[in-house]
Amino acid sequence: MTAVIEVRGLTKRFGSVTAVDDATFSVAENKIYGLLGRNGAGKTTLMQLLTGQDFATSGEIKVFGQSPVENAGVLQRVSFIKESQRYPEDFRAKHVFKSAPWFFSNWDQEFAEQLIADFRLPLDRRIKKMSRGQVSAIGVIVGLASRAPLTFFDEPYLGLDAVARQTFYDRLLADYAEHPRTVVLSTHLIDEVSNLLEHVLVIDEGRIIIDEDAETLRGSATTLVGTKTAVDGFVGSREVLHRDAIGGLASVTVTGLTAQERTDATAAGLELAPVSLQQLIIRRTNTSEKEFEVSA
Amino acid sequence: MSRITSVVRLHLTNPWTAIILPWMIMGFILLANIAIWAIILGAAAPEDRADIREGLGYSGSTTYFFVYIMVLAVQAISVTFPFALGYGVTRRDYYLGTALTFVGLSAMFSVGLTILSVIEEATGGWGLGGRMFTTFYYGDTWPQRLFIYFAAFLIFFFVGMSAASIWVRWRANGLIAYFVGLAVVLVGGAALLTVTNTWPAFGSFFATAGFLGSWAWSLVITAIAAVGGYLVLRRATPKTS
Repeated sequence: MTAVIEVRGLTKRFGSVTAVDDATFSVAENKIYGLLGRNGAGKTTLMQLLTGQDFATSGEIKVFGQSPVENAGVLQRVSFIKESQRYPEDFRAKHVFKSAPWFFSNWDQEFAEQLIADFRLPLDRRIKKMSRGQVSAIGVIVGLASRAPLTFFDEPYLGLDAVARQTFYDRLLADYAEHPRTVVLSTHLIDEVSNLLEHVLVIDEGRIIIDEDAETLRGSATTLVGTKTAVDGFVGSREVLHRDAIGGLASVTVTGLTAQERTDATAAGLELAPVSLQQLIIRRTNTSEKEFEVSA
Repeated sequence: MSRITSVVRLHLTNPWTAIILPWMIMGFILLANIAIWAIILGAAAPEDRADIREGLGYSGSTTYFFVYIMVLAVQAISVTFPFALGYGVTRRDYYLGTALTFVGLSAMFSVGLTILSVIEEATGGWGLGGRMFTTFYYGDTWPQRLFIYFAAFLIFFFVGMSAASIWVRWRANGLIAYFVGLAVVLVGGAALLTVTNTWPAFGSFFATAGFLGSWAWSLVITAIAAVGGYLVLRRATPKTS
């Protein structure tokens, strides 16, 4: 397993605000990573640092083994699609697709055309006059068709409807299977992309608080439902991530149950339910679900 | 293909703003001027016509072109810089590609204006004695005009580019500081000339240098703007707003 990105002790400060705080992690080749976190958690700043668009205050970044800052050799293998991407004043969608191949050596024109049809993108319309979703579709198409060995998507789907978002996930997965590459996807919509992700990085207030394999993470917690007495009896001194109670019933989310413990819990008359990635991250970041949904 | 040429092509992806529109406006101004000359000459008494023709030599209608070019430079940088960085272009390649684009456009525009000036001469001022491209401050011969046009385009492009670089890096605050600084330098310079009583020497510098020499000196300012613009842009980050 080769690391495409290696970050050590990375910190970025804007005046008194620390946007990225002593982050250390690595990203393995040909995997899909989820970079998750709330608004203002530092996702965009982190990606700007990784793509050499911003300068680190301290720490070390290596992308393909080298610093990405002003490094043409590294940057021409990187594609960074931002939700807030601005396009030149006089550009129509067709100008973007005309110019993108000059910068991405793996560009697949046929794939781009198929995506344009999938997203029903009007090529001749000025980008200024397009809807939010159509502008997002341009970015998504460039990000997919460029087939850069390292692709960053920063909340790429703003304004895209559910159908278009599903199209994006489907195309990404299908094309990834045929042309493996490293993808870093930052998003609020955790449950929507949860099946796509192979590895999860959660950033909160600039710190990387979770860096784990998605499968492991999903199995790392279980919700137990049953009578209050049965639940309390089973939980004992275990780490509780979340607790709900209605009348005599209780629902408790606990970490890491072994197979034996699961059998015991069932025997004690408890119901076991899996915890969704979104739930888990909310519990782990100690934010209320409501807050998360508002930011999403 | 080198990334620098890709940046050049990126600037010209849509040739409308950078190439077609300025020439269309120029053509329109020329036609409007010809119409005005014809109206004036038609309305004037025959004995006044020589006087009027003399007055037609002071046209400033080509100056729009240079201002347009400065606006073009500012607009090009403020929007294509964050865009190009998203395409994985380094600031260095972006700057060199952009500078190359501007030098190329300057060459194209100055050759075009020179050709128009030669036509203007050959047709006796579009048949009316009008002068737009051969006004005296563009020099006496076409090679001189070519040089002056080129130097003028370059200075407008690169000054616009340096201002845009300041905008990209520091936004409005940077531009305010830049113009305040510029005003201080200009007023300070004027004060210095006054106090030291060297205005005549200052004036005679341009008189000695002539139009041609003064424009040659403008290349120094152009070079400072170009290098300064690069130093500013080298540490700029694309802002999200």
